[in-house]
Amino acid sequence: MIELIDIRAGYDGIAVLHGVRLQVAAGRILALLGPNGAGKSTTLRVAAGALRPTSGTLVLGGRDVTGADPRDLARAGVCLIPEGRGVFPNLTVRDNLLMMTFTGRGRSEIEEIAYARFPVLGRRRTQAAGTLSGGEQQMLALARALATDPAVLLIDELSMGLAPVILTKLYEHVAEIARSGVAVLAVEQNASAILRIADDAAVLVRGRVERHGPADDILRGELSALYLGSSR
Amino acid sequence: MSLAPGETRADRFVREIAELKIPDPAAGRPRLWLRVGVVLMIGGVVLAVAAYLVSHRTTSSLTQGDAVTIGLGGVTVSVVGAALFIRYSLTSFLRFWLARQSFDLAMLGDRLTGERTDT
Repeated sequence: MIELIDIRAGYDGIAVLHGVRLQVAAGRILALLGPNGAGKSTTLRVAAGALRPTSGTLVLGGRDVTGADPRDLARAGVCLIPEGRGVFPNLTVRDNLLMMTFTGRGRSEIEEIAYARFPVLGRRRTQAAGTLSGGEQQMLALARALATDPAVLLIDELSMGLAPVILTKLYEHVAEIARSGVAVLAVEQNASAILRIADDAAVLVRGRVERHGPADDILRGELSALYLGSSR
Repeated sequence: MSLAPGETRADRFVREIAELKIPDPAAGRPRLWLRVGVVLMIGGVVLAVAAYLVSHRTTSSLTQGDAVTIGLGGVTVSVVGAALFIRYSLTSFLRFWLARQSFDLAMLGDRLTGERTDT
């Protein structure tokens, strides 16, 4: 569904990614782990088309789409939930959801999808998004993503500022979304939370994929060593 | 947006991606167009002033006619350059303004909620 082949990318001539190779099939979750500054968010930006790689290929649905307009990719079904939730804090929950009408879906349909999945949002529909709790804001971000009917879901640090119990519930929703056939690429620092639901995992260190394989293997394996930089 | 009969979401995604028009990366070079705009704007003014000076220093009506044509051409070039400059500098400015606005709103949201996190 989505494949990054030998991606090299950076900002203002400073290289961040040095030949990243990743792939996620439909209905599967790939957890992208790694320490701060490893290039996880940059990888997501490349996958969303928001950052053009200096070399390498972004393949979606079997086609090379390197350099495609991120708006076109979003319309086709690539959805990025950025770090920090990406909701409009001064708009109500309902207005935040209705921002997704650009996809062509009707207002009532969008609200129906969101409130069916997250009933708490229905109860808070007239409340400003900035006054929701952190978990509810992430629910809103996920609901907005669902409203776009995504085929590829890119999630950046869902765990930020959330208690573990809330995070577990949110990841259960992400797992359900993936089971509906969506390819999910989730960047996360909280490895144990994401690895419970992920099918595969990759560990990114200093812009290079140090390990890529089934999530269970990564969880049991040398995760701490890869994070901390120690060697056997 | 709708699925064709027997089509899954993944199938539709593949179809839509296959239909996607990917622009030539060389087509959109805002910085280049901005520079072209500045050059045209200045060049047009220089051309118009030069044409004025040429016409001012001659009594030949033929030369003056040529100078008028060149002068008008210079003004036109300058107007086109100004339009290009405004178009591309305004885009950059508005993009920056929007980013700034989003940042301010996010900061305001955080302040209102008192950096609330779930407990």
